Amino acid sequence: MKAYIIKRVLSMIPVLFLVAIFVFFLIHFIPGDPASVMLGPDATPEEIDNLRSELGLNLPIYQQFFQWTANILQGNLGTSLYMNMPVLEAFISHIGPTLSLALLAQGVSVLIAIPIGVLAARKRGTSVDSTFMLIAMLGMSIPSFLLALILMLVFGVKLQILPVAGYESLSSGILNHLKYLILPALSLGAIQAAVITRMTRTSMIDILSTNYIKTARAKGLRERVVIYKHAFRNAFIPILTILGETFGSLITGAVVTETVFNLPGIGQLVMNAITRRDYAVIQGTILIIALTYLTLNLLIDLLYGVVDPRVRLNRK
Amino acid sequence: MGNQYLLEVNELKTVFSSESGPVTAVDGVTFNVKHGEVLGLVGESGCGKSVTAESIMRLLNEKHTKYDGEINFNGRNLLSLTNEEMLGIRGNKISMIFQDAMTSLNPVYTIGDQIAETIMIHQKMKKKEAYNKAIDMLKLTGIPSPEKRIHEYPHEISGGMRQRVMIAMALSCKPSLLIADEPTTALDVTIQAQILDVINELKEELNMGVIMITHDLGVVAEVCTRVVVMYLGQVIEEADVDTLFSSPLHPYTKGLLKSIPKIDGDRNKKLHTINGVVPSLNNIPNGCRFAPRCTYATEECLNEAPLLQVIKDNQKVRCWNYRQLLKEEVQNNATTII
Ligand SMILES: Nc1ncnc2c1ncn2[C@@H]1O[C@H](COP(=O)(O)OP(=O)(O)OP(=O)(O)O)[C@@H](O)[C@H]1O
Ligand SMILES: [Mg+2]
Repeated sequence: MKAYIIKRVLSMIPVLFLVAIFVFFLIHFIPGDPASVMLGPDATPEEIDNLRSELGLNLPIYQQFFQWTANILQGNLGTSLYMNMPVLEAFISHIGPTLSLALLAQGVSVLIAIPIGVLAARKRGTSVDSTFMLIAMLGMSIPSFLLALILMLVFGVKLQILPVAGYESLSSGILNHLKYLILPALSLGAIQAAVITRMTRTSMIDILSTNYIKTARAKGLRERVVIYKHAFRNAFIPILTILGETFGSLITGAVVTETVFNLPGIGQLVMNAITRRDYAVIQGTILIIALTYLTLNLLIDLLYGVVDPRVRLNRK
Repeated sequence: MGNQYLLEVNELKTVFSSESGPVTAVDGVTFNVKHGEVLGLVGESGCGKSVTAESIMRLLNEKHTKYDGEINFNGRNLLSLTNEEMLGIRGNKISMIFQDAMTSLNPVYTIGDQIAETIMIHQKMKKKEAYNKAIDMLKLTGIPSPEKRIHEYPHEISGGMRQRVMIAMALSCKPSLLIADEPTTALDVTIQAQILDVINELKEELNMGVIMITHDLGVVAEVCTRVVVMYLGQVIEEADVDTLFSSPLHPYTKGLLKSIPKIDGDRNKKLHTINGVVPSLNNIPNGCRFAPRCTYATEECLNEAPLLQVIKDNQKVRCWNYRQLLKEEVQNNATTII
């Protein structure tokens, strides 16, 4: 088990390295120069040139790359050209809203989607089933920015029960905090919830027709026990895969959602960094996101072993 | 008189509602099971053996299933019990073993968990006690070192072992009726024999009634005391094992018996097969259900359905022409003796 985890962690290094190379060169090939962006349209060519050499932007690109990698290996993600603070610090100061948003979206979608999926599977073929599946279908096909606008219009403008945009941190009270996050979480979590609902339903229907479910019923177990103890644990295995996969779309979705709802999170940090050509921030943030993504997937793989004994490693 | 039988299935009808209308998979099936008796339920694939068994356990999805008739178990009609009451019967008073041992155990729980679960719900035992009981049951079915086995998962043991686990689970609450739905079809021959032995021994020990569903007449000859032959949802013959093998009455039963390969038979001779195929349930023949495939069928057979008639001591048959067939049989035997 330990050996497996170590192997998996080591195997992340080449992936992260590739991500680093890719992001570095991609960004440096985007037209536009940080120095001229920072100094504004009135700057003279000399001023720009001075700043460029000050920032090390005059060096050949491979030297810049080696410099950056060497720094990263020492745990230094660099300094924001624009904000004048270390990238890590900038990241940490923006993680709050994103983390809350992602947890809320994921949490709400899982808490809603799984029970509905199970219910739809049990009521397969009835109007309950088809109603939920129709909603899920809509949820999957509506673009999240459109859903965001609709939610804003209905709950923020028409009914005026929730703020249209903005953010209050957790320190201003949990209710206040949540008030600003409900609509973003709904619009971000909708697709997720729809995908998970459908997956849960399909998976449960599959499992409910297996022989061991018949065995469970033949033992005289209550339907509740048959469904949740015997069927759900098996049905959860493919759902787990989906959870891992949708986390990726949650991150990309967060960028859009944060922009629409004006949340000061990682999405906004990256968007701003891109317009300002703030290389260090873009590179550093994407690297951290990649690392988070890989770690999450490792955790999910380990979770497989907990749920499914057939993939359990190194059993005695 | 009424308590002589453990189970009395009386004119059982099981109707599924399907998209193309109702499908009567079991149509007026009647048979009884005594304590300590092994009743064989045989017939071709699709004749309704499993549906009969699952009707007795009320395991079918009742939203799409309608029952008719009676299933009296210890004097109570199972068809009129509530769901709650059935929970106390399933796995406790009546147990079932399924055909496919490989897939009948839940892959994510240990063997011990799965056996102990049944014991805990029906016998109100604590976990520790139930585990010990589970070990005892595994020992009874002949599994070596059961203390270790109970911590294993189904994928870690062989098919034969899994079937023993199923048996241990089914018998853990000492049921008075065991329904074994083709318990050995998925296993190889030596294991088959062992499993049948285990069932037979435990039957003696617990004095249970057993319904042994199979399409293997070899299995019937080995373990059953009486046999019910089904065809297309109906019972077409019922007899003691010896009677059935020595003087079968229904042409279908005769066909089945003739289709068993004999060890001392002529290898070049083709095995006997019954003509035609089983009609589908949506397309049931008007008269005798077997008539279209029967070499003895008359006009009457094609138009009018025969009833199940009691012929002699414990032999019943559903056929218009059995008397004539019986005569022919006697003559044939006579000629072979000469
Ligand atoms: N839920 C259902 N809905 C509709 N028809 C069904 C259903 N379950 C079974 N049947 C039909 O009932 C008939 C009897 O099936 P059953 O499983 O009892 O056959 P069997 O005698 O056990 O055959 P086998 O030897 O293959 O196990 C089959 O024609 C089958 O298609
Ligand atoms: Mg069957």
